[in-house]
Amino acid sequence: MTRSPATTEDLALTARLRAIVGDRRVLVRPGELRAYESDGLPGYQSRPSVAVFPGTRDETIAVVRLLAELAIPFVPRGAGTGLSGGSLADGVVLLGLHRLSRIISIDPDNARAVVEPGVVNATLTRAASAYGLHYAPDPSSQTACTIGGNVAENAGGPHCLKYGVTLNHVVAVTALLPSGEVVTLGNADGEQDGYDLLGAFIGSEGCFGIALDVTVSLARDPQAVRTLLADFGSVDDAARAVSGIIATGIVPAALEMMDNAIIQAVEASIYAAGYPADAAAILLIELDGAAAGIDEDAARVAGICRDAGARGVRTAADAAERARLWQGRKKAFGAMGRISPHLVVQDAVVPRTQLPSVLAAIQAIGERHGVNVCNVFHAGDGNLHPNIGYDSSDPVQAQRVHDAMSEIMAACIAAGGTITGEHGVGLDKLPYMDALFSPETLAAMCALREVFDPERRANPGKVVPVHSCREWTGASPARAVARA
Amino acid sequence: MTHEATEAIAAQVRAARASRTPLRVVGGAGWMDAGGPCDAVERIEAGALRGVVEYEPGDLTLTARAGTTLAELQQVTAAHGQWLPLDPAGSATGTLGATIATASWGPLAAAYGTPRDQVLGCEVVTGTGDVVRAGGRVVKNVAGFDLTRLMVGAWGTLGVITEATVRLRARPEVDETRAIVLGGAESIAHASRWMRTSAFTPLAAELLSPALAAAVGVGAVAAPVLLLRAGGNAPMVRELLRAATSLGDGRALDSSVWQRLGSGDGAGTTFRVSAAPARIAALWAATASAVERAGGTAQANLWRGVVRCIIPAAGTTESMALLNDILAVAHPAALVSERGPSWLWERPSSDAATAALAAGVARAFDPDHLLNPGVMGRGAHAPPHPASHAGTA
Repeated sequence: MTRSPATTEDLALTARLRAIVGDRRVLVRPGELRAYESDGLPGYQSRPSVAVFPGTRDETIAVVRLLAELAIPFVPRGAGTGLSGGSLADGVVLLGLHRLSRIISIDPDNARAVVEPGVVNATLTRAASAYGLHYAPDPSSQTACTIGGNVAENAGGPHCLKYGVTLNHVVAVTALLPSGEVVTLGNADGEQDGYDLLGAFIGSEGCFGIALDVTVSLARDPQAVRTLLADFGSVDDAARAVSGIIATGIVPAALEMMDNAIIQAVEASIYAAGYPADAAAILLIELDGAAAGIDEDAARVAGICRDAGARGVRTAADAAERARLWQGRKKAFGAMGRISPHLVVQDAVVPRTQLPSVLAAIQAIGERHGVNVCNVFHAGDGNLHPNIGYDSSDPVQAQRVHDAMSEIMAACIAAGGTITGEHGVGLDKLPYMDALFSPETLAAMCALREVFDPERRANPGKVVPVHSCREWTGASPARAVARA
Repeated sequence: MTHEATEAIAAQVRAARASRTPLRVVGGAGWMDAGGPCDAVERIEAGALRGVVEYEPGDLTLTARAGTTLAELQQVTAAHGQWLPLDPAGSATGTLGATIATASWGPLAAAYGTPRDQVLGCEVVTGTGDVVRAGGRVVKNVAGFDLTRLMVGAWGTLGVITEATVRLRARPEVDETRAIVLGGAESIAHASRWMRTSAFTPLAAELLSPALAAAVGVGAVAAPVLLLRAGGNAPMVRELLRAATSLGDGRALDSSVWQRLGSGDGAGTTFRVSAAPARIAALWAATASAVERAGGTAQANLWRGVVRCIIPAAGTTESMALLNDILAVAHPAALVSERGPSWLWERPSSDAATAALAAGVARAFDPDHLLNPGVMGRGAHAPPHPASHAGTA
């Protein structure tokens, strides 16, 4: 969006925001705003008109009420680590919430914590560790991303295979609606009755409002952990091992796959984890829980890997080795970033029995378009993260990458999958929504959004394509967009 | 692509909309006598939507039409060593659709969660007569706003559920049940602490009032009984049961006790009282003996902090007084109604602002209040959403 010079209205807004949060917490100069032009996905850039950073709950409410009064759109933002362009503010107000970073309380008896939205995911786990507890959802960005952002995206992470995603760990939210009204969603004192408004709010990508505080349930630290590294000579063998493990009914805490390109990138970086450099694929498998029986499960999993053709299976000898194996996995995208100036990452999910055929299809699509597709993903959930490193300043290369990714998404949808498992739709996946959902379903989503935000001022233009937001007439309209 | 039976329901809703005819959504008809107020004129028979649409055991997911019974699903999945770990009270002819619509769950929720955690997607016909496909068929999905969660527990007021996809689990290799008599409040508190701090997660840990324990065949006891269900591989189950001996002497029971517990509901006013999980012993103290004195039974999910009570359908005044006493002693606690006269359903369950939001959701999906009108109580009939706070900053 082209920026016009500041208008009188802009100046009035800035002055009123400064009156609420203080001069230093309102940014308007292009140089200052540059840091907020993109999120974790480097392909998108747009500059907010103003960035405002309230430091307290009351300041946040006052800011949102001011924006409501002036009918100004805004985009909430946590740490800006999202991978879907969801926190980009194109010429509108960016509302940064990272300063709301208090852990309000930890209740070890009930294994609960109440936190402000800007608390960093890993900080919460560190604080809970004193009680033998942790916060289970563990996105790879957990050392930077915030709980508020996690709620907005319904974030996952490797250990969600066993423990569930953000939705399964949030008990209640005090939400600030775009109108400035404060509502309680969910119930920290017993069962929730009535519509699951909390469930609707989680994963609403900042379109339904802002979480002023979040009550989460904490998980007990497991008594025992076994981390296995299985080394495969072919991606297909590794994919079949995944299906085999899932079919036994053993639910690993995490079950991750990395292909050779990722292994190479990790091993060449400061995060070198000791992965076998010549493996076509590795599986990182973690089992946890009670000590009793865990070695039997580990032996069974190792046996399935060997039966599927693993060249070797080793178990992390100690906590330090386990941490190293995991760091390589969690920093894989960072390691890829060293190799190419830009990285596009997808987040499709497919039925787990489809993994071998979908991975083969992805490989073939990459070859056809002359791009190198790498895979590092949550195999146990079927949650793929195909990624392609490239130089976006080369339009020919950028087009090839775009075409390949579109075909990959189409293949995942055709296999019965979805377009995003944990990164959210944001801007990046908007083009695929029509292929996944009917016009009626998209219209229902729009209608739900308007319950929370009748003016559609919160994170405008994200999640649901604007053309889908027709009136609900009850009659099935002609399909506006042909389905893929 | 849409099933023709779904289209037929959509046509019925559109016709009802044209003639402003309120509809009662009926699955297996198991909840018809739940007592929730409903001003419907015609019925929509979702129970006729039967059968498994897609089941790939290796994916541990299953898609079925909404009228498929839980018993049928257990039969189909058991053939592959799997199950849908939902065991709500009621007859085995209860349907998948009704279980989701009422968000019903049973003892297995201690380990596996409730329908909210297990439903991956669903097809619904909204009150506008539109067919909406919420969510998907994969185990992880954040594409778009979460319409699936809205449908779980909406009692059909936002849409008639016609099909659903659920997450399955492998049946545990070993599945054992022990009955442990817990004499005195301190031993209940101890059992609750054990649940929250032990390295083990039982499949179920259900506390039964003495009368209920007797009714399901545990035997005549004077104190509450903990039914502990351990599942997993053999060494784990063995160690769990060994650790549980610290709670008291356990007697092995056949797993059929769980079926008897689930299907043993007599007539009566049924409600659940819940609080933060660590308060379960206090909650039990506030409920169980009072309920038994009134001739009823109580059971508690130790892990989730929920006490489920059934009291005989006695005089309204006595029942209301009993419930009010329980809630006063247990405060802060939540009440969820399962079955009972209209007074039970008319209690407001949320603050005004949240109720207004709920009313907005109801208007968005069912603008003419055609689907099970009144069943959600006051929330769905609350006044319009208040004006925004614009100008009040």
